[in-house]
Amino acid sequence: MIAALLVPMVVHDTYIRHLFIIAFIYGVVAASWDVTLGYGGIFNFAHVSFFGIGVYATGLTAKLLGLDPWLAMLFGGVAASAAAVIVAVPVVRLQGVYVVLVTFAFSQLVLQLVISQSQVTGGTQGMVRVPTLWLPGYNFLRDYKFGYYYVALGLLVITTICLRWLVRSNFGLSIKALRDSEDYAVSRGIPIAWQRLKALVASAFFPGVAGGLYAVYLRVASPEIFDFSTSSLILSMVLVGGISSIYGPIVAAFLLTFLSEGLANINNFAEGRFMVVAAAMVIVLLFFPKGLASALPTHFAKKSPGKASAPATRLERV
Amino acid sequence: MTADTLSAILVSGIVLGSGYALMASGLSLVWTTLGIFNFAHGVLMTLGAYVAWTVSDSAGLNLGLAAGIAVTVAALIGVGILIERVIVRPFYSNRDILLITVMTTLAAMIFLQKGIQLLWGARLKQLQPLVAGNVRILNTTISAQETLVIVVAPLLLGALWLFLSRTRIGRGIRAVGQNPDAARLIGINVSQLFIVTFALSAVLAGLTGVLLGSVRLLTPEFGSDPLVKALIIVIFGGLGSLAGTIAAAYLMGLVEAALTFFIGIYWTPSMIFLMLIIVLLVRPQGLLGKVVR
Repeated sequence: MIAALLVPMVVHDTYIRHLFIIAFIYGVVAASWDVTLGYGGIFNFAHVSFFGIGVYATGLTAKLLGLDPWLAMLFGGVAASAAAVIVAVPVVRLQGVYVVLVTFAFSQLVLQLVISQSQVTGGTQGMVRVPTLWLPGYNFLRDYKFGYYYVALGLLVITTICLRWLVRSNFGLSIKALRDSEDYAVSRGIPIAWQRLKALVASAFFPGVAGGLYAVYLRVASPEIFDFSTSSLILSMVLVGGISSIYGPIVAAFLLTFLSEGLANINNFAEGRFMVVAAAMVIVLLFFPKGLASALPTHFAKKSPGKASAPATRLERV
Repeated sequence: MTADTLSAILVSGIVLGSGYALMASGLSLVWTTLGIFNFAHGVLMTLGAYVAWTVSDSAGLNLGLAAGIAVTVAALIGVGILIERVIVRPFYSNRDILLITVMTTLAAMIFLQKGIQLLWGARLKQLQPLVAGNVRILNTTISAQETLVIVVAPLLLGALWLFLSRTRIGRGIRAVGQNPDAARLIGINVSQLFIVTFALSAVLAGLTGVLLGSVRLLTPEFGSDPLVKALIIVIFGGLGSLAGTIAAAYLMGLVEAALTFFIGIYWTPSMIFLMLIIVLLVRPQGLLGKVVR
């Protein structure tokens, strides 16, 4: 944590700072996905579209309505949560593969809406010149990404604290109970539809805000966010880091962001990095189904026996 | 609506539907037999079209389209077997197989799509049409290649149906689809049939790519849109029913052609996804399906 605060003091290279900012943003998306995917066992395929909705909601309100970019970022979170309500209505009533398909169809629906409304969203070209963040007497554009670094770090820290609190609360326990034994949990009086709806809405807020930050930081909103590549990149962060652990996906977000950016710098390999990430995802699923965290030396696990023995990674109730 | 518009919608709907039927039947075959959704199905179609282009085009090996089709079939059998072996087989005994294979086949899709982009570049390509010229059907003019799609799709689907209902291997595949445990008990080599199914489905995707590769331009994302449509069709038709899938494919083609005509090309995809979500809410078993797996 302290190391993360000090990084910009040591690292003056704007590109490395940029990688940190992107890793923070992906970390938020990956960790919050884990609430529904890992803890809730809801096979929610729309999570990256919540991020994309945040990007576009912020971009549109900041650019077209002139909303203050800070407020627009928050609006991104609210918009993503509102979208999660729409997704949740069918999802809480369906089971198994149908959840995958509905959430998948939803993300395609959002993508098609973005592309078709080209006079507002810029269509396939995307939207450019999104207003940047702004503080009195401080310029976010000319500080070598110093300010954005701390905003992104702050967002990641707040997200992590909220998510930790969420999964450890009674609510978090109840969605885990629904995942592990739906019939028993329901018989003990846990309202399944209501808890799933809350899980989706809560977990959608953070990627929405992260999407907002992404829009004001990069100053563009492009439909590539809804692409399969983005989904599989972030999904691989969740899987590589180990599901049902908030920290795992964040660590994996760093590893994979730096790995994939490092590979992108190799000549003509910008596309190839997605191949490496895809292969890494399959290898992890084949050999470490509980994520790389489970491959750490055993003495590491002994320090926290409670965590190590927890029935962590199961995806069955979907 | 005049008779001419109606026939224009009918013809273009049938062209679309034929392509969808070929794609969706391969997807449906794997779903029925192995119980997984193969998200790499669309990119297999792309791969088929690119391989055929490389072998047949004058900018490639220039060996003619027959050689192109032969190499495509061989290559896709290989890739189909490889996918089954590497990313599906290891998870058979896993209770979460359906979800894990969603992730692994998605990874395979990204891997192949980006691989195609690296190997062939992003520049647009087009296959030589098998037949040249235009044909007039129902007062609507379409290219001869599109007519070929309309004719070949039912022939291939008919061949698939004959294979599944008349041959020993085909009946085995259906038996496995109905009850893998019982099939194993009566001495059917289930894991061998899984490989055959996967290879067959990959070949169907590849041939669809060859057929459509001369109607549309080839890009590394060539197969994404048909994949998404095929997924929808498999659900519309009812999971596990090949006849339902094919009927739904043609219905979908007609609906898409009609929507494109009435509300325009921009709103059509959104409307189709909205329809899918509504159908799933009201009839999760699909429009024509009866059994929920």
